[in-house]
Amino acid sequence: MQDKIKLEICCGTTCYMLGAAELMTIEDTLPDAWKDRVDVFAIPCMDLCTREDIGRAPFVRIDGEVMGNATLETVHRALSKLLPIEPEEV
Amino acid sequence: MPGDTPFVELEYCQLTHDGECACGDDFQWALADGGNRHIAVLSDGLGSGIKAHLLANMTTTMALEFMKSNKPILRSAEIIMDSLPVCEVRKISYATFTIVDMLSATGRARVIEMGNPSYIQLRGEMEIPSFSRRELVSERWPDRKMDISELQMLTGDRLIFCSDGVTQAGLGTGVYKFGWRRSGCLAFARELIAREPAISAKDLSRAIAFNAMSLNKEHKCVDDISCVVLYFRKPRVLRILTGPPFHKEDDSAFAALAADGADRVIICGGTTANIITRELHTRVELDLKMVKVSGSLPPPGKMANVGLVTEGILTLTRVTTDLERHNWDDSPVAAREILAAIEESDVIELVVGTKVNEAHQDPKLPIDLEIRRNIIRRLQTVLENDYRKKVTLTYF
Ligand code: FES
Repeated sequence: MQDKIKLEICCGTTCYMLGAAELMTIEDTLPDAWKDRVDVFAIPCMDLCTREDIGRAPFVRIDGEVMGNATLETVHRALSKLLPIEPEEV
Repeated sequence: MPGDTPFVELEYCQLTHDGECACGDDFQWALADGGNRHIAVLSDGLGSGIKAHLLANMTTTMALEFMKSNKPILRSAEIIMDSLPVCEVRKISYATFTIVDMLSATGRARVIEMGNPSYIQLRGEMEIPSFSRRELVSERWPDRKMDISELQMLTGDRLIFCSDGVTQAGLGTGVYKFGWRRSGCLAFARELIAREPAISAKDLSRAIAFNAMSLNKEHKCVDDISCVVLYFRKPRVLRILTGPPFHKEDDSAFAALAADGADRVIICGGTTANIITRELHTRVELDLKMVKVSGSLPPPGKMANVGLVTEGILTLTRVTTDLERHNWDDSPVAAREILAAIEESDVIELVVGTKVNEAHQDPKLPIDLEIRRNIIRRLQTVLENDYRKKVTLTYF
């Protein structure tokens, strides 16, 4: 049994206005094969919105790693590197 | 602290005589002396319908004005009785009244009654008699005697007064040959309070009025029924913390206010929530399940042992706008939860951190964010003016 991937989405004002509102619907967009493999959490504000060195809001964290300018597409892409589409382990 | 001053919850329930379009009783109240006095007047006009309503309304309006301007009571009563129009059928003019004049902070009160059933003061279930009661009669109106009672309301006390539609309910029916009477109403109120010690003024006045009606034959309103309840109680305090403190050194004092001293605490703002979780060693749980129903605001969360957590500026802006337009039917959950907490509270303590979040000034944001201070000022104004809330402001 593999550990689940922890996906945290920032719901602070800045992230929310710049796209986190859409990101929060990500659970609905995950392929069935991933649904049990990803745990999605909402975070009040990651305190990253005022920093300039790590990209821009909205921010997500995937297994602890911060990702800026997050969109549904980029988060999907990042997840796909960690999860095969067909996790057939017999 | 405003939290130490008792809160006056004043509500009434009125049921109109069957077949009439206007109630022949009238109730009015006002604050006087800059909010230091609560004055309430209930009047029952002779007969029922429009004519009775007019008599009652003239009486409450005049009595309220005279009381506000501290006119002597005997003289005031004479002016009222002189000016009421005489009923063509009965050749008399008549409207009863009960006037309650109470110092809001101390609970010291005077009740002036003419013709209405006498008031009931309850401390829990126990009836408290007035410590002084005297009669006053005008030479010109010798049959209209007035009773003046002095009483002391303590925190938690209730004052109930009503029109005779309550005390005479059920009159002539088998069980209540002489009506429900004051004693029946008293027993009913005591029983209800025993069952529900924190019952609100609104619920108690409604329960009494509707019970009175139910005692009448076929549950009819054979007379106008009015019941007023004044509940002198500990105020319910809601504390809203929003915005990070200007100086980091103040974070712990700021966070301490989330931990203690209010009946309810709400934290508005992600950074604010982070500061408080760090200082209080707790955490926030945001329920992603809420996202689907969260509407156009980020979803609300919970901070263990503290209370509700929401996003800051957008949510507070929405709450303020909803309060200003008096409608939040279609409001997102986060705003609605704050609005519900506001509705149930008497004192709103706004604790505001003044540090500006640079990211909020970013011209790339799709809409301009209100400046926290402006929103807080708008919120304070609408709460005080439109919702009679006591508001305190503390800046950090
Ligand atoms: S709002 Fe997302 S990091 Fe601050």
